[in-house]
Amino acid sequence: MRRRNFIGRAGEFLSSMELTVFCIVALMILVVACTLAQVQLGVHLAVEKYIRSFFVWWNPGQGAVSIPIFPGGGAVGGLLLANLGMAQFRRLELSWRKAGLWIVHFGLALLFIGEFATAFFQVESHLTIEEGQTVDFTEDFRRMELAVIDVSDPSSEEVRSIPDSMLRSRAEIAHASLPFVLRVRGFIDNAELSMRSAGSPPSGATAGVGVDVVARQVAPASGEDRDVPAALIEPVAADARSYGVFLVSPALGAPQGFTHAGRSWRLALRPRRYPLPFTLTLKDFRHDVYPGTDIPKNFSSQVRLRDPRSGDDRDVLIYMNSPLRHDGLTFYQSSFGKNDTLSVLQVVRNPSWTLPYISCILVTIGLLWHFVLMLRRTLGAAA
Amino acid sequence: MNSRFLPGAVFAGALILAAWPALSPAPKTGFDVEAFGRLPILEGGRVKPLDTFARNSLLMIRSKQSVRVQGRSLPATRWLLDVALKPEASDEYRSFVIDDPEVLGVLGLDQRQGRYFSYAQLLAKRNEVGGQAQASQTVAATARTRFQRAVIDLDQRLSLYERIQNAFTPAGRGDPAAELAAFQAKLSEAMEVVQGGQRPKNAAALMGEIDAGLRRYATLAEASAFKILPPRSGEGEAAWAGLAESVVRPGAAAEPHPGAMLVARMASSYRSGDAAAFGAALAEQNAWLSANAPALARGARVEAVFNRAQPFFSGIVLYVLALLLIFASWAARRPDVASCARACAWAAFTVHTAGLLARTALQGRPPVTNLYSSAVFVGWGSALLGLIAERVHRRGFAAAGASTVGFATLLIAHHLSSSGDTMEMMRAVLDSNFWLATHVITVTVGYSGTYLAGLLAIVWIARRQVLRAPDPADDKALSSLTYGVIAFGLFFSFLGTVLGGIWADQSWGRFWGWDPKENGALLIVLWNALILHMRWAGFVRDRGIMLMAVFGNVITSASWFGVNMLGIGLHSYGFMDSAFWWLLAFSVSQLLIIILGALPPRFWDERDKRA
Repeated sequence: MRRRNFIGRAGEFLSSMELTVFCIVALMILVVACTLAQVQLGVHLAVEKYIRSFFVWWNPGQGAVSIPIFPGGGAVGGLLLANLGMAQFRRLELSWRKAGLWIVHFGLALLFIGEFATAFFQVESHLTIEEGQTVDFTEDFRRMELAVIDVSDPSSEEVRSIPDSMLRSRAEIAHASLPFVLRVRGFIDNAELSMRSAGSPPSGATAGVGVDVVARQVAPASGEDRDVPAALIEPVAADARSYGVFLVSPALGAPQGFTHAGRSWRLALRPRRYPLPFTLTLKDFRHDVYPGTDIPKNFSSQVRLRDPRSGDDRDVLIYMNSPLRHDGLTFYQSSFGKNDTLSVLQVVRNPSWTLPYISCILVTIGLLWHFVLMLRRTLGAAA
Repeated sequence: MNSRFLPGAVFAGALILAAWPALSPAPKTGFDVEAFGRLPILEGGRVKPLDTFARNSLLMIRSKQSVRVQGRSLPATRWLLDVALKPEASDEYRSFVIDDPEVLGVLGLDQRQGRYFSYAQLLAKRNEVGGQAQASQTVAATARTRFQRAVIDLDQRLSLYERIQNAFTPAGRGDPAAELAAFQAKLSEAMEVVQGGQRPKNAAALMGEIDAGLRRYATLAEASAFKILPPRSGEGEAAWAGLAESVVRPGAAAEPHPGAMLVARMASSYRSGDAAAFGAALAEQNAWLSANAPALARGARVEAVFNRAQPFFSGIVLYVLALLLIFASWAARRPDVASCARACAWAAFTVHTAGLLARTALQGRPPVTNLYSSAVFVGWGSALLGLIAERVHRRGFAAAGASTVGFATLLIAHHLSSSGDTMEMMRAVLDSNFWLATHVITVTVGYSGTYLAGLLAIVWIARRQVLRAPDPADDKALSSLTYGVIAFGLFFSFLGTVLGGIWADQSWGRFWGWDPKENGALLIVLWNALILHMRWAGFVRDRGIMLMAVFGNVITSASWFGVNMLGIGLHSYGFMDSAFWWLLAFSVSQLLIIILGALPPRFWDERDKRA
């Protein structure tokens, strides 16, 4: 009996208007905090801290202990979603008069679900392509990988990719496909590289270009800047023979590697690559300005899309406000460079991208329905 | 008097008052500067009349559309001609407004000499200002001090002024027509030499002179402010050229632009004070324009009329007039005065609408394209809503609200206009008429609704707490109005916000990025939703709704202007920094009103009892 009472009370709480009001107010506070924090943290970190989290953590005095001080966007959003669902069935009668509100709340629930799905499933990467070049992978600048590449056969490189999270957490990486183990001798989240001056202490690297380079730990990047990691990697053969310690970082362009059992291997810490099952070739990039000014009028990339699976082999024009959608991916014109011969496309995989569209239509219809009914009642009462 | 006649007369009179500046012909003595101002030019990527450029430049340099010289007010085009062609006189005009005391310190000037300074006064420290500005540019935009921002601003205004000086001839000096004629004579001499195949003795000297002339014109082409020669038939938009630029264009030697000599003649005759010669060259130029580029010439003429009419300025005047009439009608309790007030408010709204439509037509874009036009449109939307509400409840509140928002937003727009051309070209990412027409318009209508609700709430608080005129019927009318307007605001701000998300999905690849402007819009939606839920749950009643509606003003203003002041995010194209204190003052005033409204009515009664 008490148990039922408890469930009943919990249900009542979850469906209560008090909770709705609390959630809306909490959401407003989070949104304000997230907006103001962007000045210091940049949009990515601010969103991670306030919105894409279940609690907002406070770390007094740079200590190791963090205290949750406020529900984060995930908690508030989840509560609001539960509240919306419960209130719907417990409070709102099923009538034509309330049909507008039903539709509105259903649409809102879809919007929340869409945002949750985006947070969990969306993958963003970039595709950098020069005129005439053909590319079949995209790069994720927020995640890194240690690429161990077998370059013995120049016509087909074999790549083993080790995510940066493994470099952080493990001291030694062994894999069946690798004939040697990789010892992680150091990892720096955000490194500043400089040439080693004569007489200064050794850099830690004993092979490759890193011998003359010093990597120094610096504060995490803020704003729109990204961390540039660095790692010290030592390949060790099965007979415990070391090939030296290599300094790897995306900031180091020069290829470095070693030869093991007659095969040439190359090491690189680089943005994580996602292979595409099709290719894009950049035919032309255009950057138009208004006459007599530098104000950009348009950016556009004309690409050739070739997909053997679907039989696509056609030209596509990607420009502002007009992305290419293909195979669950969306390609947007994002940036450019190299005197307007290089185009950067943002590539997004977001399986839930249609939800906001549906939600928008539903809520609009619902609100219109409800407010028109309300207006008719008010005018009826006034007449 | 007939009760129908009077409001009609007020309406018509107000419209005539507003149309007067456009209808009254300018005195035609001496130089026909007005007609010169109607010539089309290309500047900032847009074809506009010279008059628009002159007004915007003067607004940027002096924060006014005219300059006072020896007790006379000089219109913008006249000022521009003087700066470009009579530097001996115009360098003494007090063309620059400088308020920052630290910048004045660098210049060796002080505020006791006033706010306005002449180019001649600044010339000695010109290089110092340039150096300081360059040093300040290296500091990140958000981290700059007030001095650094002010000195960059002054440097930009000085360069604009100098580019105007170089519009026709270097630093406004010399005789452009004679120089051009001499140069063209040399060119044709050289052409004859080339075609005749013979080498006269002075060939090397001739080539040297032509080379020097070309270099001189090329330098001038780089340094001048605008392009006044339209493309000839068969040429594209890129063929627009300034006077000097047209001389150095490939092919100019064989086929000089027919307008080049005409413009040079206008410049020379203005410089020498020959009004007749100026008029003759201008007439020839206009004849060439109407034969070769009639659409451009027509567009420029229409815009020049729009500039002269200044509909938004007339709108401000009429909205204030309407407001005063409403107050008078409340004080005198006379319905006929109230009718006149309504007529005046409608006239103001008509002028506002005409201005908005004219801008939309001139720009060929939906009405909201930047911060300036959003202010014009928010005011228009609120005024329309308020006037419609006034037709339902004819008690003057809604008309008063409409007039106040109309007046305030047009005033804000007026202050925003000093940052340059208000019909600037759209950057690539914003270049989408479909989304400008849907997302931007609905969001702005949402702002309008929220402001109107806030204003009605202020009227409600004022009646209850200050005027102490409790009339249950009035109160009920006001609160049902406010409630309706909040619902309206919620609908449009939600729709606009989600449409914005969909636009972002189309252009940046994500529906929602928690960008400051997006967050601002979301806050408005949440706040309106909160008010409605609080009411439905019975947590607040009439007064609570009113107090919350007033706070909606703060949230809307913060979302509209405040997030731009953070200087971050994808929407910070409407950046502005001096308005921060105004925003703060406005927010404080709204909080005071909320406190006033929150005081129990008994508070006042008790004071009455004690008295």
